[in-house]
Formats: sequence, C-alpha cells, structure tokens
Amino acid sequence: MASAEIDSISQSEKHSVSPTYESVKQNNRDLVSDIKVIKRKLNGYVGFANLPKQWHRKSVRRGFNLNIMVAGESGLGKKTLINTLFDKELLGPDADAEPEEQPDEHTVRTKVHTADVDEDGVKLQLTVITTPGFGDSLNNTDSWKPIVDEINRRFDSHLEAESKITRATITDNRIHALLYFIEPTGHSLRALDIATMKQVHEKVNLIPIIAKSDTLTEEEIMDFKRRILDDIEYQGIKTFKPQEYENEDEDFISNTKSIMSRMPFATVGSLKEVRTPDGRIVRGRAYPWGVIEVDNEEHCDFIMLRQLLIRNFMEELKEHTANVLYENYRTKKLLNMGIEQDNSVFKEFDPLARQEEEKALHEAKLSKMEAEMKAVFQQKVSEKEKKLQRSEADLFARHKEMKDKLTKQIKLLEEKKQQLEKQKSLPQDPPAPAPTKSRKGFLR
Amino acid sequence: MPEAVGITNLPNQRYKIILREGSTFTLMVAGESGLGKTTFINTLFQTTLKQHADVNERHTRLASTSPTMDIDIVRSILEEKNFKINLNIVDTPGFGNSVNNHDSWVPIVDFIDEQHESYMKQEQQPYRNTKKDLRVHACLYFIRPTGHSLKPLDIEVMRRLSMRVNLIPVIAKADTLSPKELDAFKSRIRDVIEAQEINIFTPTLELDDAASAEHAKQLIESMPFAVVGSEEEHEVSPGQYVKGRKYPWGIVEVENEKHCDFKKLRSLLLRTNMLDLILSTQELHYETFRAWKLGGDEEGNEGANEENGEISKKPSYRKTRRLHNPKFKEEEDALKKFFTEQVKAEEQRFRQWETNIVNERNRLNQDLEEMQSKLKTLEEQVKKLQVSKR
Repeated sequence: MASAEIDSISQSEKHSVSPTYESVKQNNRDLVSDIKVIKRKLNGYVGFANLPKQWHRKSVRRGFNLNIMVAGESGLGKKTLINTLFDKELLGPDADAEPEEQPDEHTVRTKVHTADVDEDGVKLQLTVITTPGFGDSLNNTDSWKPIVDEINRRFDSHLEAESKITRATITDNRIHALLYFIEPTGHSLRALDIATMKQVHEKVNLIPIIAKSDTLTEEEIMDFKRRILDDIEYQGIKTFKPQEYENEDEDFISNTKSIMSRMPFATVGSLKEVRTPDGRIVRGRAYPWGVIEVDNEEHCDFIMLRQLLIRNFMEELKEHTANVLYENYRTKKLLNMGIEQDNSVFKEFDPLARQEEEKALHEAKLSKMEAEMKAVFQQKVSEKEKKLQRSEADLFARHKEMKDKLTKQIKLLEEKKQQLEKQKSLPQDPPAPAPTKSRKGFLR
Repeated sequence: MPEAVGITNLPNQRYKIILREGSTFTLMVAGESGLGKTTFINTLFQTTLKQHADVNERHTRLASTSPTMDIDIVRSILEEKNFKINLNIVDTPGFGNSVNNHDSWVPIVDFIDEQHESYMKQEQQPYRNTKKDLRVHACLYFIRPTGHSLKPLDIEVMRRLSMRVNLIPVIAKADTLSPKELDAFKSRIRDVIEAQEINIFTPTLELDDAASAEHAKQLIESMPFAVVGSEEEHEVSPGQYVKGRKYPWGIVEVENEKHCDFKKLRSLLLRTNMLDLILSTQELHYETFRAWKLGGDEEGNEGANEENGEISKKPSYRKTRRLHNPKFKEEEDALKKFFTEQVKAEEQRFRQWETNIVNERNRLNQDLEEMQSKLKTLEEQVKKLQVSKR
C-alpha cells in the first residue's frame, strides 16, 4: 500500500466571517453541517505535487506585472531610485516635466510610466505612478488626496472589470506598493508624512524610504529611523510586513528578519558607475571624502529594499493587495452601496441536504398547484351553482307570476260566470251596470 | 558585480505561494456502473478514497422502481511532498442503469451548472473569503469497451458535458480488447467525436518548447485513453511488484505503457496538465456560464434548437431549477388527476341539476297549460252565458 492513512475525521465546516459582521455570522450557524473529509499523506508518487512546478512554468509564460507608486517631495531622488532598482533608465530626468508651460504649481497630479523589463527570459511589465507636485506647495493640506484618489480609482475600475458580464482578461492595474520618500531631515516625520500615510496605509502596501541617506551619518540615520518607527507605531500606521509561514527555511527567515530590521530603508540611488579607491567599479556616488556604494549593505539599505520589493516579496505584495487590501475596499464599498451579505450561498454541497431542499421546493410547488387548482375549481363550481340557482329561481318566479295571473283571471271568470248564472235564474233583476263595466274594461 | 535585480526569482515566488496554499481539484467520473470507475480513482491516487458500492445496495438500487441518480462526493485532503490538495471526487453511480436512459444525463449536467452558479453567487457577496468551490475541473467519461463504437447515449451525454466541462473520454477495462481491436475502437470513437463536434479537453501544444510539445502530442494521439485499474499488486519478477490484473495468461500492468494508457492519463490529469484543467475551468467554462447567467435570456431555452433537428454548439443552460426525483412528477400527476376527477364529479352533479330544472320547467309548464285550458273553458262558458242572455 503506497499510502499511509493518518486519520479520517469528520470535520465541521465553519464559515468564518469577518468580525465586523457579527449579525451575519449568527445566521450562518444554521448552515454548519458535518461533512466527512478524508485526510491522507501519500508516500508514493501520484503527481499532483507537480502543480507548483506547473504554476512556475505557467507564470513564466504569462509574465509578471507590478504597479508601484512613488510619493515624496521633488528632489528626493525618486526617479533615480526606481531606475537604480531595475538597473535601467526607465524614467528620464524630465519624465514628469510638462512641455514648456509650468502647470499650476499648487496641484498634485499623478503620472503613469510603463516599461517592460526582461531578466533571463522572465518578463515583467512595470508601471510606475509618480505624483509630481506632492508636498511642494506652501499649503500642503490635502496634498495626499490625489494619491488616495488614484488608489481608489484603480480599485474601482478593477471592481467594475470583475463585475462585467464578459471579463476574459482583467489586467491588474491596482497599486501593489507605495514607496513613500521621507526627506532626510534627521528629525522625525512631518505632519504631511503622517497625514498621507494614515490616508493610504489600509489601501496599499506602504514602504517608507529615507531618501538621499548619504546626507546623514550612520548615527543620525539610526536615530532618525528610530524616531520614524516610533511615530509610525504611535500613529498606528501599517507598513508592509511579509507574513511568516510555516515550513519556511531558516536562511530565508533570517534574511527576511535582516531586511525588515532596516525599515525604513535608507537609500541612495545611482546608475552611475564610479571607481572606488581600491579600484572596484561600482554603482554609487563619488565624493571627495569617499565613494558611497549603492549595492553595499554597509553603505545603505538599497539591497534590502530591492530584495523586499522584487526578489523576495513582489508576489506577496500582489497577493496582499488582491486578497486583503482590495477585498476590504470592495467589501466596504458594496456594503455602503446597500448590497447585503447573503451567507446562505456559502454552503457545502450535500446530496442529502439537496434532496431535502428539492423536496421542500417540490412540496411548495405542489401545495401552490393545489391551492391554485382548488381556487379555480371552487370559483367555477360556485359560478355554475349560482347560475343554476338563478335559472331555478327564475323558473319558479316566472311560473308563480303566470300562475297568479291565470289564477286571478280564472277567479274573475268564475265570478262572472256565477253572476251570469244568477242573472239567468233571476231575469227580472237589472244588471248592475257600473261594476260590470269596469270589470269588462279590465278584461278587455 | 552587483546582484541581479531579482526578476528571475518571481516564478519561484509563485511556486512558493502555490506550495504553501495548496490547491483544490474536483474530478468527476461518469459512465455506466461496472466500468471500474471506483477502482480507477483508487488506482490513480494510490489510496482507497472511494469504497466500492455494497453489492446488496447495488441490488436495491437496481430493484427500486424509481432509481434516483444520486451525486456522490468524496472529499479529501491529500498531501504529497508537502503539497496539499483538496481533492473532490464526484461520482454519478446510477448513470445509465435504468432501462430507459432518456434524460439520465440531466443530473450530471445540472450538477456542473449548479456548482458554477453557486460559485458565482459566492463571488458576488461583499464578504467572500470563504468560498466553497466544487466546480468540476475534469470529467472522465468511461466508455464501455464494446469494440464497436459510441452508443447514442454516450454521444448525447458527451456532447452536453463537453460544452461545460473539460471532458476526457476514457475506454474502461481496456484489457478486454486486443491492441488491434483497441486501435480500431479508438479511431472510431475519435471519428464520432469529431463528427459530432464534441469538444474534448486537449493539452495545448507549446511549440516553442519541443519536449513539452512532443509530450502533448503523444497525449493527444492516445485519446481516448484506454485504461486498466487495479488496486492489487503482483510479482512480475522476483522481488518486483507492480499494480496489475493477473490472468492465467499473464499480468496486465497498469503502469506499463504497452499495456494501457494509464500513465498518460495520469500525466494529463495531474503531472503535466492539472493546472491547464484548473485554469480552463476558471477562465473558459466558468466564465461562459457566468456570462450567460448575467447576460439574460438571449440564449438558453433548452431543447428549442434541438427540436428543430439542429444541434446547438453553445451550452443551453436552464433558467429554473430542475427537480430530479421522479416521484415528484408522479405526485404532481396524482394531484392533477385528483382534481380532474373532482371536476368530473361536479360536472355530473350539474348535469343532473340541469336535467332536474328542465323536468321541473316541463312540469310547471304543464301546470300552467292546465290552468290556461281551464281559463279557456271558463271564457267559453261565460261567452255562452252572455249570448244566451241576449
């Protein structure tokens, strides 16, 4: 026998429902049924364990996509960092500049840049959404609004696309991560930073970044990071954290730990290659006092950021966006639209229950049929009865009328006859003229 | 040398997510009983998932006057190499067993549609993280190894199934046919499938990948798969045991490609094309159903086309739910009959009543006539008296 039976249990299927909808959960209890599930671990090779490999293949064939948004004041090196992340000149230096005319400086806009990146045959369709103008005006109240609007708009259009009748291909245009650039002031988060983060942290995977960290000393960075993390915690802002799963290998777990220990990521971006004093060619920035290397973990957190964003967790960012952030947005939106949750549809198929259900449906149909037929029957019967009763009554009435009439006539004639006979026996008596006349008139 | 960007690692991330989350796979087996469906399932998954139907029960089923076709579902969680799947086996035990098999496909087709509908309704809810998914990813249709061709019932059922599910025809108990007979049988079946425009599931040929394309081609050429199932092992050479069936003239080995197509079918179902089955169910069959359901009445109206002798290529779904217990129909008929009889009784009563009225009228008329004649007599008498007076 190639299989080892561990246990075969009867599992009670629970319908877990969001805690926000307690009332809904109550009704749901009735639907809980005992359904038998066989649980086994196979020792032989059946082959379904190949499915993850099939997905691997398929994902290469279908390609990947990622939509990231970058927010932060101008001059913080946002575009350079994106270019450095993908090691490619994706965004030109004036990618955001409007041709000639300076648009209203006080408005924040969003701009979309797309690029196809290919690394050893794995294709990534990259979309970068920039927010030129963010934090640049004197009054930055509501300057986070275009960012929130853009995230919502993309959720809305996804919701619309998935609700369409035909939806053969839905492209995922939802924003999978927001890189939020913090100015390297060395103090702490500013009001605008906090306001913006609070507006978006439940809608997008938020990744805070300390821009141009080469302006801060190692110690200053440590302090700055600590203060930022304090602020984030105090304000209850959620930043992206990869979930921990069982069976993860130890190297991966410790790597994840070291990545997350660097949050918020102090980065330096540069596509320029420079020569270090010891003769290496590196991506970095050369200063009279030394070379800061982008790809050196001791100089900045660039590598950690890239591992988080691309190599280790890009698919997790997307999963979290689709399964948690988008789902929450959608649930709220639909409930606000007045669409009610119907938990009766979340039930296991159960032949017995179905038979019962069909029986109930059948009985309902049957009794409806019976009621209808009975109603029609009774109506018809009573109509007919009434009709017959009426004709019966008519018959009697007419008969009575005729009979009365005839009886009266007969009576009159009989009286007349008697009178005439009387007259005959007493001829000397003159007839009484008046009554006879009137009677004659009556009889015509 | 700076580290690579890491895009090449994305497929590995996907791999990890799938490995962690597992998957759901629902396999339906259809076909007459006695074709080894249960044995095949147990052979495929190398474990006893399905118990064979109790022989006594089989008798009661056959003997009962109104055999209902119960859909039987075995739910399991199987783990292989740390990968878990929720495997559902959907069996249709009584299929084709009654003398009159007309409409015996109805419960199967309805089951598939109902699962799509149920999934759709769940998907529409505001909160939907706990969807129950019994959408059928593949339907194995077991063909009796007659050596002749497909029966009209097979064609009818397969045509309907192929419009809403990944249909994989299988020649059952292939060890009853010689290789030559099998080849001929297969090619006849393929001809019928083509002529009837039955869409069976075929793996896609990925021409840019020679090895995979070659494998897919071999799978396509072997269709319909001839299978032999066996849960028993036999010794073929000292110390070496294989799954198979032992006859006095030799052992049929399940996993021997020269003996049957079991390995190819397993590859198609699990090892190479399981994901294709899952995705085409999701992206084609489910979406087709959903679009129809949401799209309103343009099509549907089952049977309308077929009555005109025309075979529709689009699935014809049902708007209203169909009830499957033949007893229900009987009860309805009984009710109708009861009322018809009541109506008859009442009509009889009314007729009697009408007759009574007519009789009564006659009687009364006679009465009146008598009075009238009496009147006339009187009139005449009076006249006479008057004349004689003058």
